[in-house]
Amino acid sequence: MLSDEGLVQRLSDFVGPEHVTAGPAASAYAVDGRAPRTVVFPGSAEETSALMAFASAEGLKVLPRGSGTKMALGGIPERVDLVLVLSRLNGVVDYEPADMTASFQAGILLKDAQSVLGRNRQLIGLDPPYVDLATLGGILATNSSGPRRLRYGASRDLVIAIRVVHADGRVTKGGAKVVKNVTGYDMNKLYIGSLGTLAIIVEATLRLHPVPALERTFLAPFRTIDVASGAVARILDSPVVPSAVELFNHTASRQVAGQAGVPWPEEGYGLAVAIGGVRREAVDAQIETVRRLCRGVESSEVHMLDGHVHDAFWRATRDFTAGDGLRSVLKASVLLTRVGEAVRLGEEVAAQQGLGLGVVSEAGSGIVRYYLTGGSASPERFPQGVAEAVNRLRAFAREAEGNLVILEAPPEVKKRVDVWGLTEKALPLMQRPKAEFDPQRILNPGRFVGGL
Amino acid sequence: MIDKERIAKELAGVVGTDGVVIDPGELRVYETDGLTVFKAMPEIVVLPRSAEQVAGVVKVCHREKIPFVARGAGTGLSGGALPVEGGMLVGLNRMNRILEIDYENQRATVEPGLVNVWLTNALAPQGYYYSPDPASQTACSIGGNVGENSGGPRTPKYGVTTNHVLGLEVVLPDGEIVRLGAKTLDPLGYDLTGVFVGSEGTFGIVTKVIVRIMRKPEAVKTLMGVFESIEDASNSVSGVVARGIIPVAIEMMDNNSIRAVEKGVGAGYPTDAVAVLLVEVDGPKDEVEALVDPIIEVLKENRVREVRVARDETERLLLWKGRKAAFAAMGQISPEYYVQDSVIPRTRLPAIMGFIGELSQRYGLRVANVFHAGDGNLHPLILYDSRNEGELQRAEEMGAEIIKACIEMGGSLTGEHGIGLEKREFMPLMYTDDDLGAMQKVKKVFDPDGLLNPGKIFPTARPGVEVGPAGQREILKKVLGAHGGGHAV
Repeated sequence: MLSDEGLVQRLSDFVGPEHVTAGPAASAYAVDGRAPRTVVFPGSAEETSALMAFASAEGLKVLPRGSGTKMALGGIPERVDLVLVLSRLNGVVDYEPADMTASFQAGILLKDAQSVLGRNRQLIGLDPPYVDLATLGGILATNSSGPRRLRYGASRDLVIAIRVVHADGRVTKGGAKVVKNVTGYDMNKLYIGSLGTLAIIVEATLRLHPVPALERTFLAPFRTIDVASGAVARILDSPVVPSAVELFNHTASRQVAGQAGVPWPEEGYGLAVAIGGVRREAVDAQIETVRRLCRGVESSEVHMLDGHVHDAFWRATRDFTAGDGLRSVLKASVLLTRVGEAVRLGEEVAAQQGLGLGVVSEAGSGIVRYYLTGGSASPERFPQGVAEAVNRLRAFAREAEGNLVILEAPPEVKKRVDVWGLTEKALPLMQRPKAEFDPQRILNPGRFVGGL
Repeated sequence: MIDKERIAKELAGVVGTDGVVIDPGELRVYETDGLTVFKAMPEIVVLPRSAEQVAGVVKVCHREKIPFVARGAGTGLSGGALPVEGGMLVGLNRMNRILEIDYENQRATVEPGLVNVWLTNALAPQGYYYSPDPASQTACSIGGNVGENSGGPRTPKYGVTTNHVLGLEVVLPDGEIVRLGAKTLDPLGYDLTGVFVGSEGTFGIVTKVIVRIMRKPEAVKTLMGVFESIEDASNSVSGVVARGIIPVAIEMMDNNSIRAVEKGVGAGYPTDAVAVLLVEVDGPKDEVEALVDPIIEVLKENRVREVRVARDETERLLLWKGRKAAFAAMGQISPEYYVQDSVIPRTRLPAIMGFIGELSQRYGLRVANVFHAGDGNLHPLILYDSRNEGELQRAEEMGAEIIKACIEMGGSLTGEHGIGLEKREFMPLMYTDDDLGAMQKVKKVFDPDGLLNPGKIFPTARPGVEVGPAGQREILKKVLGAHGGGHAV
C-alpha cells in the first residue's frame, strides 16, 4: 500500500503536481463525509486512462466527479482513495452545425456547450437542475433531466456516441457520430445513468435540436390537485404539443412564481405549460387550447409568460431548491395517471413527519420531485422523518409501476434507508455488468443500486 | 449432432406436437430471412405460444448446449434470423397478441410476434399510433424491430425503435424469465432495456414489449420536390434543417428508383426527374401551416423544378405509395438487387452520391438510390442479375466499397438493417479490438455460454466467433486489402 506522499508523487507523475490535491484541501471533495486521500485533475482522456490503469494496479477506489452537483446522489461510498475530477476535459471536440451533431469532452459545463451551440440557434435538449454548474458528463452519468424531456427526451435519446475510460484504463467508444446507427450493441445506453460504476465517460456526441423561434408559458393556479391533474390529462390527450408540463405544490409554485416576479395566490397548486413554435399565432392557438382544457380556473388568475419572465420562471423551476439547513431531495417515477396521488401523498406524509415540502413534477413524464426540509422537525428527528417518508412514498411509487430514488440526502438519512430501493429480485441481473466491467470494484464502490 | 427424436419429443411436451417442426420440407421455410443470399437449415423449429413455453424450450437448449436463434417475421435484411446449421430456431409468430393498451399512460404491451402495423391499426380509432414504421411494417414483427432497433422514414423527428421501447420481458439463454424496464421512465439500475434493443437476437428472446404510443398529430403536410440534380436535392435537405425545421421525414429517390416505382405502382413521379424529395411535417394545424412556406423557399433556393403539396390524405398517400413500394418495384427494372444501409453525416450527401455514381460506372452495375436523406441513412440498391457470371460478386464488392467510403466520411456501417451475418467482417472498420471487447462483455452478461444466435455481429477473427461463409472474407480482402483488412477510425 502506497503512503499518502507516495500516492501524491505517483499521481503527479501522470498529471503534474499542480493537478493533484491532498491533505486538508482534499476534504472539500468529501463524499457523504468521507474525505478522499487525494484529488486528481487529468487534462486529457489519455491521462485519465493512465490514471485508471494505475488505480487498477494499486486497487485504489476511484470516484469520478464533474462540478460536484450530484455527489450527494448514491449510497455512502465504501472507501474514497481518489476523486477524479474531469473539469479540465472541457473542450468542444467537433461541431458541424449542418449535421446537427456535436462532440464534447465530458467535463464541459452544459451551459458552455449550450452557448457554443446557441450561436447557430441550436441546443442540446437537456435542462436538468443546476443548469449553470452541471457538467455534461455528470448529467449523462446520472441520467439527470428536466422539464423539457417531454419535448426532447432524456440523455438516452440524445447521445449518439460515447467515449469511456474503463476501470483498467482501456479507452473504448460506442455508437457513431451520425444520428442513426445500429452497428454493434448500443453501448451508449449502458454507460448513461450508470453513475460511473462501469467506466468513466470522457467524451460524448449528441444530436442537437433547433432553438424554438419562440416559446410562451401558460401558468395558472388550481384549488385542488385533482382539478390540476384532470387538466394535465386533458392536455396530454389533446393535439397540443407542449415543451413542458410542470405541476407544483403551493410552496414550490409560490417560490418559483416569486422568483420570476409573477404574483401568486395564498393557496393552491400551480400548472405551467410551455409551448414552442415557429410563429406567434400558432403558439397562441395552442395556448388557447390549453386554457380551454383547464376547467375551473379563473381567467383573471391565468398568467402568460414571455421573454425574460418566461426564462426566469423556468430557470427557477429547474434550479428549485428548498432548505433551512436540513434538506433531502427525492425523485419518484410513476404512471402519468398517478402523478396527482403522488403529490397528495407527499403532502400527507410530510405533514405527518412535520417536514416542509416543495413538490415540482414533470407531470407529462410521470416524474415527481419532493424537496423535503426541516419544517417543524428537529435536526435530530429529521433523518428519521425523511426515512419514513421515503418508505411510504417508495411503496406508493412501486405500486404505481415506478420507483423512488433519493437524489440528495445527508449520510444520516442514507444510514436509515436505501438510496435506490432496488428489489432483491432485480439485483442479480444488475450485478452482472458490474462483474464484467469492473470486477475489482474500484469505480464508485457502494454508491449504485444494491450497493454495487 | 443432436438426438433429434428425443429432443423433438421433449419439446412437444412443452409446446404441443403442432408446435414442433422437423419435416425437412417444412423446415425449408425457415432456411433464410429477408437476406436470401445466405441459407442454413435448422434441425428443429419450435413455435411457442407463451413466455413459459419459450422458457421451457430454451431450458432444453441450455441443458443440451444446442445453439438457437429467434425469428419474428423473417423480414430482416442482414441475416440476423438466419438459423444455425444443426441448431434450433424459435419462431415467435404465434405470440402475436396485443396484451394491453393504456391510452392514459401512453403505453401498450404487446407480444413479440405482433405485426408492426397491427398495433397502429388497433390504436387508430382512439387517435393514437405507434411511431416506428419500417418499410416492411405490414409484415415485420415488433419483436424483430426490437432485435434490430428498426427505423423507418419517421426517425428524423420521432427516433427509432429504442426511443419507443420502455420495457421488455425476456427469456435469457438459461431459461430464466426476467423483466427489464417498466411502463414508467427512468427504471432503477443499468438501462438493460436500452442495451437489449438492437442486440440482434444475441441476448435473449423477447416475450413482451412495452412501447410508447403517441397521439396522432392534428395535421400532416407532405411535399414533393422535383430536382434536376442530386446535389440540389441533397442541399435542400440541409437547408430545411438549417431553418430550424425538423421534418417527420425527408426521403430521396433517384431516377432509377423513380422509373421503377412508376412502372410498378404509378405514384405520379415525373420519370425524367433526376431526383425527387419527399418532405413531411406534422404537428398542431397552425404550426404545420407555418412550416410549409419556409420549406418551399428552401427548395426554390436549391433550384427545385416543381413542388407539389398534397392537398388531402389521398394525395398524401399517393406520394408515399411510391416511396413505400420502391424496394418491391425494383423487379420492374432488374431481376435482383443488393441493398446497403450505411449512414453518413448529412453534409456529406452530395459527396457520397457522386462517389456511388462513379462506382456504378466502374463496376458496370446500375444503382437505384431510395433513402432516408434526413438522417443520412443511404439505401443504394445495386442492381444485378446472378445469371450473368460474376455479377453478384461484383455487386457485393461494390457494396463493400460504399461501406468503406461511408466510414471514411465519419459514418456508420448500418443505420437500421443491422450487422447480422452480412456485415460482421466490416466491424473492425468502425471499432477497435477494445471497442469490440467491451461489446463482447455485454454479450457475456446475457449469454455467457454463447448459445444464442452464434456467429452474428462479431467478425470471425474475434475469439469465440465461428467461421462463416468464406466468400464474404474474400470480397473484403479484395476491397479493403489496401488497408490491411481495415482499422477502426
